Amino acid sequence: MRRWINPEHCLVGLEFGNILPSSRTRDLIRAGVLKEKPLWFDIYNAFPPLREPVFRRPRLRYGKAKSPTQDIFYHEDQIRAKFYAAYGSGPKAFDLFNPNFKSTCQRFVEKYIELQKLGETDEEKLFVEAGKALLAEGVILRRVEKARTQQEGSQVSRKSESMGVESQTALEENPPLKEVPQAQHLESPGEESKGLSPP
Amino acid sequence: MATGAVLPRLLGAGVRAAPRGRAAQRGRTLGSAAAAAAREPERDSDRSARILSEPLKHSDFFNVKELFSVRSLFNARVHLGHKAGCRHRFMEPYIFGSRLGQDIIDLEQTATHLQLALNFTAHVAFRGGIILFVSRARQFSHLIESTARSCGEYAHTRYFKGGLLTNAPLLLGAQVRLPDLIIFLHTLNNVFEPHVAVRDAAKMSIPTVGVVDTNCNPCLITYPVPGNDDSPPAVQLFCQLFQTAVTRAKEKRRQLEALYRLQGAPGPHPADPAAPGAPSPGAQAQLGVGHSP
Repeated sequence: MRRWINPEHCLVGLEFGNILPSSRTRDLIRAGVLKEKPLWFDIYNAFPPLREPVFRRPRLRYGKAKSPTQDIFYHEDQIRAKFYAAYGSGPKAFDLFNPNFKSTCQRFVEKYIELQKLGETDEEKLFVEAGKALLAEGVILRRVEKARTQQEGSQVSRKSESMGVESQTALEENPPLKEVPQAQHLESPGEESKGLSPP
Repeated sequence: MATGAVLPRLLGAGVRAAPRGRAAQRGRTLGSAAAAAAREPERDSDRSARILSEPLKHSDFFNVKELFSVRSLFNARVHLGHKAGCRHRFMEPYIFGSRLGQDIIDLEQTATHLQLALNFTAHVAFRGGIILFVSRARQFSHLIESTARSCGEYAHTRYFKGGLLTNAPLLLGAQVRLPDLIIFLHTLNNVFEPHVAVRDAAKMSIPTVGVVDTNCNPCLITYPVPGNDDSPPAVQLFCQLFQTAVTRAKEKRRQLEALYRLQGAPGPHPADPAAPGAPSPGAQAQLGVGHSP
């Protein structure tokens, strides 16, 4: 029972043409080269894939062309950034084995949003109230601000000396992004402090 | 599809002709035993043709949709991709977004692609096709080999020699039957280049199903499944899904063959009450399982 297809029949279209294996096989059967229909032929015609498996050469992106993949940001990220800036990593370690695990930061965010729904608008006040609510539940949050600002000051000056151009371009990119502009502006100081704090 | 062209392949593929004793029993409706014996191959071929064409009419004959859900894919960490720097350009349509630099794969698309892939796998297994599981990740080599063994199919998780598919008569023997479907659990090899078998299967017109991560090229794979191929829970889930699909399809084939053989003459509707044999209620219930969406 001959089931072997001569690969020379198939090499033609792999790199330059766009010959599909399905149309190639159909033509080979019609020409009489393939004596019997392959097993997958009917199944493929009944349930074709969403995209035909045609070879495409991956081209590099040049100039200002950027990939269309978007960043994923949530509104809670602003609150998380402020929390990490003020309190560092938080008292409790993350337990990733538990799928329903709630970190200190997550509880803080939930308290914050609850208070926001109650009608408060002032961010500073909300922040302080949420901290107090967590304290009432027994979670002690230790601020790391003072030690941070000293480190920040010295490290920022070193950074500006060596990588001044990079930080300028980063700041320039922030305004043109229209997705979540507020998040971006708040994320950058949050991320800078995250980057500068010891891991 | 001409029945004549299908006939020799099916008789060779293991559809057993009924033994002469049973033919004489069933020949009661047709009269002489000689006439019954002459009509046997015809009825066999009709039966086989109907067995093969029946599943193609339903959109989900093997009910592969119920094997997984978006939630189960999420729990198995299938949505986690590599960092944005490793992203392959052709994977961008399948990526939902990038969370703090890590690509997140769109599980809605994964679900559709996975359903198509499992459905195709099941149909190939139903028709008695040879399925080859290929992967070059040493971490999951044993898991994939045992998965293949448990569903009665084949696996190749070692070094893939140069002309294994394209020069098979030389390397494997003169009359070797190549796989009818190749399933890639990992599309890349150990140096992060596309596996040679992807290109070779495309050359040999062998359809492929492959789990493609965000750093893989999905172009040449017939039924790509965008998903995580690095986390153990994700690979275990995919192995389990493919194994269940293949086993289910083979079981369904055995059931349908038994059902059609017991029903005898061609013509009766599968739910025909006049069809002989006690197992019709049970068999009808089994068919009912296949027909339900």
